Amino acid sequence: MRMFNLQPYLKRLECKRISAYFLPGDMMVLAIGVLGVLYLFELLWSTEHATKVQIRLADKIYATYSLKLQREVHVPGKLGDTVINIANGKARFAKSPCQGQYCVHQAWLSLAGQAAICLPNQVSLELLGENKPYDSLNY
Amino acid sequence: MIKFFKSLALVALCFALSACFKEPLYHSQSYVFGTLVDISIAGERDERAAMLANHVFQDFQNLHNRLHAWKATVANQPSELGELNAAFSKGETPLKISPDLAQMLLEIRTISEKSEGLFNPGIGQLIGVWGFQRDEFTAVTIDAQKIKALVKANPRMADMVVNNQSAYSNNTALKLDLGGYAKGYALDVAVAYLRQQGVKNALINIGGNVIALGQHGNKPWRVGIQHPRQPTAIATLDLADGWAIGTSGDYQRYFMLNGQRYCHIIDPRTGYPAQHMQSVTVLVPPQAANQSQAGVLSDVVTKPIFIAGATQSSRLAQAFGIQDFMLIDERAHITVSKQMAQKLHWVNADVQFTTLP
Repeated sequence: MRMFNLQPYLKRLECKRISAYFLPGDMMVLAIGVLGVLYLFELLWSTEHATKVQIRLADKIYATYSLKLQREVHVPGKLGDTVINIANGKARFAKSPCQGQYCVHQAWLSLAGQAAICLPNQVSLELLGENKPYDSLNY
Repeated sequence: MIKFFKSLALVALCFALSACFKEPLYHSQSYVFGTLVDISIAGERDERAAMLANHVFQDFQNLHNRLHAWKATVANQPSELGELNAAFSKGETPLKISPDLAQMLLEIRTISEKSEGLFNPGIGQLIGVWGFQRDEFTAVTIDAQKIKALVKANPRMADMVVNNQSAYSNNTALKLDLGGYAKGYALDVAVAYLRQQGVKNALINIGGNVIALGQHGNKPWRVGIQHPRQPTAIATLDLADGWAIGTSGDYQRYFMLNGQRYCHIIDPRTGYPAQHMQSVTVLVPPQAANQSQAGVLSDVVTKPIFIAGATQSSRLAQAFGIQDFMLIDERAHITVSKQMAQKLHWVNADVQFTTLP
């Protein structure tokens, strides 16, 4: 493969400032491009953010959903329906028939490995990602 | 062209090797002991792993039924502990009990002594008065008179007499609640069974108390420690073969009353819930065969430290030969023993904590 000959460009750079070649608008396009790539990298390649949520009912896997699509899931537990919201890469217990409501107070989960349990209704959520940060949770 | 084939062969070799190194991982969950139980078994065929896990769940369910603290019968099986408590409340009639229960009671008495009475499963009546002998915890009306009377009755494990596989109590106020022991005991039962069955690698989690067998692939099992106030882990650590980890917190079993949090860990000296800690975590190494095992210790040792507070933590941990522990107090201040500090990987790198000398 033939390489680009950079010599003439470097020579010109030697005698003039960079601003002579880039207009402010060019700089801005460049900056936006770099920031965009960084943002997408963080969003799509970061292993911290979960991609899926696994819902368990008693000793069975009830369902596994992508976190990308917004949805409301009704899980029929022994006390009644637990309602789970999924939206924008996050999941939470939205409604529960239990008395304590600890599960609802857990609020939104978004990172791989995060989990919330409703013991009375035996429903649990676990967020799954590319890399599991740990095998099990001590609490 | 030859170069191309060479690299293709290399890629194929990599795939083949990674397939060899990726051992099967079986994972199963169930609800026992009023909490979530989670078993992972690595390196066994799925069918065999499922059979072994089911056996362990069955053992747990049996223990749960036999040791239930407030239901006379569970799944048509009378609670052995319930019968014993009934006998205690009636006075000095010795009741025949199974050999393994007698062993447990003797062990609990020794642990209670070592903890200077702070670990006291004999205060079942107080636990009941606070509403923690129910499936769900809601605020109770605090009965100060009754609490005072129960503290005055001073039920202690030393009031219990165990011999010839029978037991009685010198104090009718003694009512056993093994909620702070049974899960740890069950971990040891499970590990003994799995080892005997030739399982090399497993991780068992009973309501947050975790014990490790072997490792996961070519790395140790990794455990996250729950943040007491956020739905995320505060730190992670590697759990080596035979090690166990336990946490007592005020965030799993509690109720709120007039803006105040009342958790399930009752100070036997005052009769009121301990209120100066958010969580206490201990990491326990494998133990010699003739003494309390890692599972039991991971469950029981957190309680006296939770009750006594940070100033007594080193001394109490030392009494049980434990060097690795972490405390998070009511103001969310984190204190970590020197040995534990070396093992923790903080989730938030900017975390502030104090390391003990």
